[in-house]
Order: sequence, then C-alpha cells, then structure tokens
Amino acid sequence: MAEKFHTELKNLKTETLEMAHLGRFMLRTAVDALIRQDKELAAKVIAQKEDIHTMEVRLEEHCYQLIALNQPMAKDMRVIACTLKVITASLRIGRYGKVIANIARKISDQPHVANLMTIPHMADLVIEMIDDSIEAYEKDTMATISEFSARDDTIDALRQSIFREAITYMMEDPKSITRCTNYILVARYLERCADHACKIAENVHYMHTGERIEFH
Amino acid sequence: MSESAIITTKNVNLWYNEKRALESVSMKVPKNKVTALIGPSGCGKSTLLRCFNRLNDLIDHVKITGEITLDDKNIHAPNTDVVMLRKKVGMVFQKPNPFPKSIYENVAYGPRVHGVKDKAELDKIVEQSLRHAAIWDEVKDRLNDSALGLSGGQQQRLCIARTLAVEPEVILMDEPCSALDPIATAKIENLIERLKQDYTVIIVTHNMQQAARVSDYTGFMYLGKLIECGKTVQIFEHPKEELTENYITGRFG
Repeated sequence: MAEKFHTELKNLKTETLEMAHLGRFMLRTAVDALIRQDKELAAKVIAQKEDIHTMEVRLEEHCYQLIALNQPMAKDMRVIACTLKVITASLRIGRYGKVIANIARKISDQPHVANLMTIPHMADLVIEMIDDSIEAYEKDTMATISEFSARDDTIDALRQSIFREAITYMMEDPKSITRCTNYILVARYLERCADHACKIAENVHYMHTGERIEFH
Repeated sequence: MSESAIITTKNVNLWYNEKRALESVSMKVPKNKVTALIGPSGCGKSTLLRCFNRLNDLIDHVKITGEITLDDKNIHAPNTDVVMLRKKVGMVFQKPNPFPKSIYENVAYGPRVHGVKDKAELDKIVEQSLRHAAIWDEVKDRLNDSALGLSGGQQQRLCIARTLAVEPEVILMDEPCSALDPIATAKIENLIERLKQDYTVIIVTHNMQQAARVSDYTGFMYLGKLIECGKTVQIFEHPKEELTENYITGRFG
C-alpha cells in the first residue's frame, strides 16, 4: 500500500512541476510579447489561461484524494502541503502572465517609453527566482533558495525605481501616461510573482525541514 | 518533556532468556497526558508497557536491569508491594476480558479485594467507575446481567471501568481497540481524551492514526530501542530520526 502511495506522490510531484513550468512559461512569454510588442505571442499566453486553471483543479483534487485515502504523515504530509502551495503559486504566476499579456496587446501599437525602463531586467531576475524555487521543489534542496530574502529585496527596489522613473516620464510627457501606468502595473505584477517564488521557497523549506521560515 | 513525569525509566534492558527485548530504554511519561508507543511488531512496545506494572514478573526467565520509577519510587525496590503497584498502574488488554460475572461484580471485584465491604460504598464506586468509562447509561438498568452479554466495545469499556474502580494513577492500554469496530473504537478514543484529566494513560497501538489522534506524546520503538520520543505533533509532522520518518511514512514495518 505504501509503495502505491509513494508512486502516486511521485506522479503528483511530476504533474505539479509541469504546472509550475507552464506558469513560468506564461509569465516569460508575456514579458517577451511586451518587449517585442508581439500581439500574437500575447494572444497565445491568454489562450493558456484555461489550461493552467484546469491543471490547478485536477492537481488539487489529486492532493485531497491522497490525503483522504492515505492519511499521510511526516515528510509525505509535508510534500503534499508544499505541493498545494506550489499549485496555488504557479496558478497565480500564470495568471499574472496572462494579465501582462493583456497589457502587451493593449499598448503594442505605440513605441516603448525609455525602452521599457528596467522591466526586462526585473523580469529576468523574477524568472530566475521562479526557476530556482521550482528547482528547489523538484530536487528537494535548499541550495537554490538560500538567498531569496536578499533577492526579493532587489525586486522590491526595482519596482520602486520603475515607479519613480515612470512618474518622471509622465510629468514630462502626458502622452506617455497610459504606457507608463501600465509599466507600473507590470512592475507590480512581477514583484508579486517574486513573492510567489518566495512562497514556493518557504514551503520547500518546510517540506525539507519541517520548520517554517519567511522570506521577505 | 517539560511536564512533570509520573513514570521515569533509566537504561532499562530486558531479556527473555537470551533474547534481548529492550535495550537501554530511557524515557519520561508525563503526568495527566496520553503517551503512545508505536513501532513494528516485536519492537518491544508491549514488553515496555508491561514493565510499568511489573507484569513481566509473571513470565519465566525474564531478566530486567535499569531503573523504573513511579512517583520517584523505584518499582523494583525490595519493599515494593506488587499488588499495590498494580492498583496504581492499571491495565487494559487487547481483547476485552471481563470476568464471567455480572456487570456490577466485574467493577466491584477490585475494590472488594482491596477491602471495601460496605454495600453503599461499593454501589457508589461501581456507578462512578461506569460513568467515568462512559458506559453507565448503557448498563445502569442491567447491572446484574452477565458481562459476557455485552458487545465487544461495551466489554472493553467495562474493563476500563474495572480498572478505574481501584483508583489507579496510570492506565496502561495494550492495543485496546484492535478487536473493536470503528464506532466502538471512537468511543474508547473519546474516553481516553476524557480520562487524561484524572489519569495518565500509556497506550500501545499499531494504528498510527490512532496514536496521532489520541496522544500528547509518542515514543517510536524499533528492535527493542526507543528511537525517538517527543510531542505527538512533532513526531508526526517532522520526526528527527530517519528511522521514525521511514516507519510512519510506511517505508518499512
């Protein structure tokens, strides 16, 4: 019985990783669509909204069934608890991807203000955090997430700087207000995605050690 | 464990002939708490339980070393009255084992042995014990019926009432629910929760979910050793020892 359960747990983790990669892919692609002003690419991300939602429902259900039928304990219980959080975080990251894709579609007819400021750089850092948190979950390691507090601080600082910069451009040229407001929103969404990467990392830490920590 | 300990064992070893069944077991059993002992078959948990009221004395060729104290008194001291020890440390077994007597007599038997003769006093003890064991309402109108006519779950609660009648401090339970259906099991588990207000309970169980549900502390035993003992929530959420982890997640045993 335990063997069957552990096989199912392994499958659950594999499927959750697929979902996490989909969320990450949606965000990455949305930012690329924004940078390249590519409406078609943005439309592809938007079309994946249903896929990630379907995955969330199916995987959550799988978690609840494993709990109901096996009453997992210790590490097994912690793996499922962490998996539930990874599922939620991945859905959120994917949805932010979709929202950024919407923005990309909306503002792609006009040239970028200040070459998108530091949004591409910020996006790279956030995607790296997401990659590292997914890797930590996959390999059950804390090696890739140990610096998350400092990395999250950098993301917060970048959001602040984009905010200030955008205000400056808006004051200089009111025609840039729509684009700059959307940049502020994108920076905010990216920052939230970094927070979700931190949530995954915190839960991997719990899965690995049984102890709670907070990255902020 | 921060709570005051009612039973303490120090380096307890036990041999059945040449076979070592317990190896350097040191633990503290907190007062007015439920402590569960878990582990695979043959790991020594029942043997350890039976040490606490010296039930192993009844088996030939048993050798015990180390120290076990109850209320800071060594239970192996030469002046220990074993009858009094077993009065203080009662036991409930795997299979309900009522005497082939009436319900009333099953409960009154212990107090009588210990010298209670007054009928009114006995009536009071019987009622209190049956109430404490959550079976009074089911049997109050048929106290003189044979105990053997009760269901398995009722018989087990009667046995608990019989244990309570001599006012023990500690109640040992050796797989008390393994012969019972889920509803009777739930009743015993609810009862254990209530009993800890007045007694200390030590329960041996194969059922890990049961240990997790009913106990405050859990000890995991393996091959005669106490591998890990701690708060139940810690043992089942994040055990410190890999062996414990592997056992409770079903990777062996």
